[in-house]
Formats: sequence, C-alpha cells, structure tokens
Amino acid sequence: MTQRTWWRIGWRNLGRNRRRSAVTASALAVGYFSVVVMVGLLKGLVSEMIENGTGIITGQIQVHAEGYLPDKDVYATIGGREGADVEELLAVVTVDPEVQAATPRVYGGGLVSTGSATAAALFLGVDPEREPQVSTPMRSVVRGRQPVAGTNEILIGNEMARTLGAEPGDEVVVVVPAIDGSLGNDLFIVAGIFRTGLVDLDRTFALLPIDVLQPLMAMPLSRVHEVAAAVRSPWRAVDAMARIQAGIDGLGLDAEAESWITLRPEMVEYANLSEAMEWILLMIVFVMAIFGVANTMLMATFERRNEFALLLALGATPWAVVKSVLFEALALGVIALVAGVVITAPVLVWWYQAPPDVSWLFGEYTLSGALMRPVLRVEYPWAMGVGAALALFVTAVLAAVYPAVRAARVPPADTLSGR
Amino acid sequence: MTKRWLVLPRLSWRNVRRQWRRSLLTGTAMALGVAALVFSRTLGDGAHEDWIDSGVRMGSGHVAVQDPEYRASRKLEDRISATDLEAVSAALEAPDVASYVERVTPRLEVIGLANSPTSAVPVIIMGVDPAAEAEFSQLGVEQRLVEGRYLEPGDRLHVYVGKRLADRLKLELGSRLVLSAQDATGEIAGQLVRVVGIFQTGVPESDEGIVHIPLSTAQQWMGVEGDVTTLAILLNSAWVVPRVLRSVRARVGEATDGVSVLGWRETMPELDAAIKLDDFWGYLFNIVLFVIVALAIVNTILMSVLYRTREFGVLRALGLTKRETATVVFTEGLMLTVLAGLIGLGLGFGLVWLLFRNGLDYSGAIESDFTFSGVVLDTLIIPVFRWVQVVMSLGSIMVIGVLASLYPAYRATRIDVAEAMKFEA
Repeated sequence: MTQRTWWRIGWRNLGRNRRRSAVTASALAVGYFSVVVMVGLLKGLVSEMIENGTGIITGQIQVHAEGYLPDKDVYATIGGREGADVEELLAVVTVDPEVQAATPRVYGGGLVSTGSATAAALFLGVDPEREPQVSTPMRSVVRGRQPVAGTNEILIGNEMARTLGAEPGDEVVVVVPAIDGSLGNDLFIVAGIFRTGLVDLDRTFALLPIDVLQPLMAMPLSRVHEVAAAVRSPWRAVDAMARIQAGIDGLGLDAEAESWITLRPEMVEYANLSEAMEWILLMIVFVMAIFGVANTMLMATFERRNEFALLLALGATPWAVVKSVLFEALALGVIALVAGVVITAPVLVWWYQAPPDVSWLFGEYTLSGALMRPVLRVEYPWAMGVGAALALFVTAVLAAVYPAVRAARVPPADTLSGR
Repeated sequence: MTKRWLVLPRLSWRNVRRQWRRSLLTGTAMALGVAALVFSRTLGDGAHEDWIDSGVRMGSGHVAVQDPEYRASRKLEDRISATDLEAVSAALEAPDVASYVERVTPRLEVIGLANSPTSAVPVIIMGVDPAAEAEFSQLGVEQRLVEGRYLEPGDRLHVYVGKRLADRLKLELGSRLVLSAQDATGEIAGQLVRVVGIFQTGVPESDEGIVHIPLSTAQQWMGVEGDVTTLAILLNSAWVVPRVLRSVRARVGEATDGVSVLGWRETMPELDAAIKLDDFWGYLFNIVLFVIVALAIVNTILMSVLYRTREFGVLRALGLTKRETATVVFTEGLMLTVLAGLIGLGLGFGLVWLLFRNGLDYSGAIESDFTFSGVVLDTLIIPVFRWVQVVMSLGSIMVIGVLASLYPAYRATRIDVAEAMKFEA
C-alpha cells in the first residue's frame, strides 16, 4: 500500500471516537496555549523592565567623559576643562538611524528650601526641548508645567513637593556646590511637579534648565556631564553604541559611549534567566501532556486489536501498522496545533494591544530597580510559537510509540480467533 | 447489608489493580502533577520567606510603629514622643505578643544631604541604637561589611556608609563628612561625622542612599531628645503579623494619643506586590499543570466508561443496586486519586529534601545581584515545608479526582444490564 493509504487510515481512525480525539487534542492545545501565553507574559515582563528601567532616567545609550562613572565625578565633564561643542556632539549622536533623540545633562547634588522646609536634591540640568524625548519625569508632570529654558524655574518630584509643602508657583532657594569650590545659590519658581512612581526618584530628583544650572555651578555652557539617548529598540542599542563611539572618536573627543547593557548588567542577566525559564516551562508542560496522549492512544489501539490483527493477517508489515498509529498521532497533533493557534493568537493580540489591568491583584513593584505596572503585558513570542509547535508534535509522536509497537505485535491468529 | 458495604471497596480496589496499565498512566499523571505542585510550593514559600525577611530587616520590620502622618510626610515633626514609645514597649511585652517578638529597634530617620569636599548626595540619615540595630538590619555582618566595622555602643560622631556613597563622595575609613538636614526648629543643621565602616548590600538605592549614625547623636543634632520616628519590630515569623498587629493596636490605642501600628504589607507595598506577583506566576503555572492533568484523567475515564459497559453490566448482574454500582465506580476513582496523590506527595517532598535540603543554590546561573522591589534576591533558596502545602496539593488533586469520577459513576447507573452483557470491547 502507498504512504497515502496509511495516512488516510490514521486520519480516519481519529474520527471514530470524536469525543476522545477532541479531549486529547484539547490537552495538547491547552499545553500549547499555556506555554506560548506564559512565555509571552515573561517576555512582556522583561520588556517592561528594560523599557521602564532605561526609559525613566538612564536612557538606552549614554556618553560620558572617561572616568565619570561610577563615581559621577562632577569635574569629569565631556571634553575635560574646556568642554565640548555640545551641539556638534548631539548631532553625532542623533545622526545614527537607531537613535530617536539625545539630550545633554549636568548633575549636581544640593538642597532645595522653601524657608520653612528643606529637602536634599539631585539636580539634573536638562534641555527642556530634548529631555522629554529621552526620559519620563518631564512627561509625567502631574501639576503645573515644564520649566522653560533660560529661566529660574524648577520641576520637582511629588515626594519632594510633599516634604517641602511646595506647589507650582512657589518660590524656593536652590543651594548647590559649584565646581570652583564656592556655593551657588539662587531663587527659583516651582514650575511643576512630576510623579514617576519610583519613590526614590520622586523624592530626590529636581530638574532645572541646563543653561541656568551651569552658571550656578560655575560651569561654562560647553561643559556637560552626560549625553543620554533613546533608541528605537533596546536590543539594537549595542550596534548603535559602536557607531556613536566611532563618531565621537571622529570628533577627537575623549569620551565613551555606553549602552544600557553595560550600564544595567543585572537587567541583561534577568533577561537571560527568564529565557532559560521559558524552555523549562515548555518541557514540564509537555512532559505532563505525554501521559494524557499516551493513555488515549493506548486505549485507541487496544480497542482495535482485531483490526490490526486483520491487517497483519492480510499481509501488512508490522512497520506499516506502526506507521498508521504514528500517522494518527501526527494528525492529532495537526488538529491540536490548529486549535492551539486559534485560541492563542487572539489572546496574544488582545493583550498586546491592550494589556489588562491587574492592579486589583497586585500593585506597582520594582524589578532590578525598574518600576513595573501591574498589567498583563505580552510580547509576541515568535520563537516559542514555533518551538512549542515542534514540542507538540514530538509529544504526540513520542506518546504514540509504545501503543504503536504494541499494535504491531498483536498476534493475528490468536486475536482473530478470540483467544 | 453491612457486609455488602464492606465488599464494595474491595471490588473497587480489584478494579484498580486489574486495569493496572490504565491505572498506572492516569496515576502517574496525577502523581507528577502533585509532585510538581509540592516542588514549586516548598521552594516558592522558602524564597518568599527569605524575601520578606531581608525586606523587613532592611525596611521597617514586620511591624512598624510611627506617627500616623509620618508615612506620607516623612517629616521630623511627625515623630513619636518618648512617652508614647514607652507605652508601645509595654504593649510589646504583653504575654500574648512577647513570645513572637524577636527584636525591637528605635530609629530616627531624617532626609538630608551628605557633603564631602568633592560632592553632595541626598541620603536618608538613620539614627540607630547600635546594639539593637546590628542584630536587626544586619548591615554589619561579614557579607555586607566591606571595610571597617559597624557602629558600636559608645560611638558618638561616627557614620556607617554604603559603598556607592563612599565612592561618589571619595570617602575612606576615617574620612570626615558633613551631614546637613532640617532640625526640629526648622533650621538647617550640620553635623560633622567620621566614617567608621563601609557596607555593600547590592541594592543601589541603599548603597548610595542610606547612612547610619548613633541614635543619641541624631537626637541631639536634630534637637529631639528621646523621640524617634519609627519603632521597627522584627517577629519570629511573617505568619504571626496579623495576630501581633491586632493585639498591639488594641493596647496602644488606649495608652497613647494616636500612633499607627503598621504591618510590612502597608509599609512596603512594593515588596507585597512583588510577592503577590510571584505567587500569581506560581498559581498560573499550577493551574496550567492541573488543567492538563485533568484533561488526561477525563479522557481516560470517558473512554473507560464506554469500554467498561460490560464490567458495569457484570456488577449489576451480580445483584448490586444502581447506588452500589455507582459507589464502586466512584470509590475506584477516589482510591486511585488518593494513592496517586500520596505517591506524588512523597515524590515531591522526597525530591526536594533529597536535592535541596541544604538549599537550592543558583548563584552559578547569575553574576550580579538581582533586586526585586528593593530586596536583593538571595541566590540560595532554602525550601520551607508546611502542612498547608500538603493540604493544598492533596486538596487540589482530590477535587480533580472527585469531579472526574462522578461521570463514570453516573454512567454506571444508566446501563441496561442485558445489553451491557452482550457488549464486546
């Protein structure tokens, strides 16, 4: 007989007990669905961590003077004491196709005081036009508005505002040690209040226009501590970093570009660990599914002992019988896979488009220092979609091997004579 | 009649044994499901216990006593007075609570600035009782101590700082720095202190943002003699928190003019969320496993019902009533479930005990420290064994087993005896 015939026999046998076939296929389909959706959720978790962890303040790529990190030495500005042509540097960074936006920054630690209350602050001198495209604080203004470049305006976090009892429009004193050893201080107006949700950040960060902070810290406008950039995909940041480094070297500047991968190594490791988890998940689920399928196939073949005996008596080879059973399992796998994809795809698309809010289950938390929203966010798990499909077929076939071998070993004469 | 009821379980047991292959496959699936559940719960509970422990030690304890306004304002004016403090201490010594209390430590926390000649960094300045705090937050233990020593009783102008802060301010042992913060009168007060030790926890926020100074120094500097902002209480288990909260709240409410007694879930909502998230994943995974196991069992049973028409017929022909037949079939499912469940329990607990009795060490898989809601994950998970795990695992498999056995029992009552006897499998 031709291959086709054995296929058809396998296929038709599935239809003989539709309910049983349906339950078995659904066990495999549920396995497929669970693995793919869980892996989608895991990937969503990692993406959320990386996006929020790098997007809130870090940026995916940073340029500093060599020796600036890890101490954040205030003297270590890009280009040394003379500084650099900031516009030229920004141009070199933003010209990269992967970079969405870049922004210059100056850091300083000091105090903010309303007269009656005082808070310690980490001052971030920012370009109000560019900063919102790279980090969240300026996009997360809950009251008031963003500070305007060139004016004595300041944006503070909601935790700091609470400590100070300050509201937009209030006057505050900013005190910051300057790099010439003096103490810079000036009056500022609170332009607005931001809330990122990271308590530490909302308590300590204060953003003011870079061209106001630099004179206050006795720095010329050419000296900046950092250029932070946002890229389109975090996973392509390393390539962009290499290109930017080449550009900086071209300018003859003594500065280094770093990506989030080296700035936040714990995130990369978490991503790797999570990936290892995915395959363990896949294995456990399908190992459990094997038992369900094996059981069904065993029953199904036992029921048909007489038929197998007849086939063998008519001259079919044992291998042909094995094939028919294996084909049956494969066909079952096809049905299960179709069903699995049909139930999985809509859920993934739905959760991808509009991640369900599960704040009733748990609140905001942080992972490797990144703020995580309580939502069921997914990323499309393409590799696992294929991997789980393969695992599904392997499971179906593996589970059918023992029943198939037993079917082929049916003694024709004894079975047919009812003994 | 009594005797007949005794015969039924024997019939059931024989059925289980006679169809050993079917029983074996179904049983294995169930046993593996239970084992997986036990496996994940013992290790999961162990990990959680660990998180909570390190979280509350670094934070404000299992239970924290604070002024009701303090949590939101973080201001020195919202502090608890020495007299209220005494009332709280008395409440903690009450007989129904005292046995759960492990450690108590008073803290005066102010937000200020750490200044050195090179830089200035905002920090949380914690005035602590050196002896009590050493046992509480364990910031001074060997793994965390980088250089020098922790604060000791008798220290005055000493400060214990994190590694990242020391790097940023270019501090070494013996270096001087100035802490400045707003005191009780509203003035900015400076305090000169000397570095006595450097620690590293792996949590960037702590290593850069927390310094410890002696409580007496802090109180003098801030002008709040005897007062503290937080009384942190460590219990011997996270499980008794609700009990202690209830008792202390009742006693403290009468004795003071309003302090709030908070559990760690309230003071550390992020840690609470992280643990709930992890539980969510655990349960999700267990549900998936059990759905698959349930489908396997349902399938086996659906089939065997069809298949066993003749068996049921024989039972009925032997004179069993419908009820008795149903009982035999149901008991059969139950026996298989219990047996598989017990084997699964043994397998799960046995494997965990055999493999991870001394803890599951995954430090080889990762290099840097992972923080989850501000707590560094310990790379050594010591499994925790609890009765509730046994009850839960057996309970879930029993629910599945009972539900899956009801259908065949029902079917066994619906057959026509004469027809069934003719049925050929």
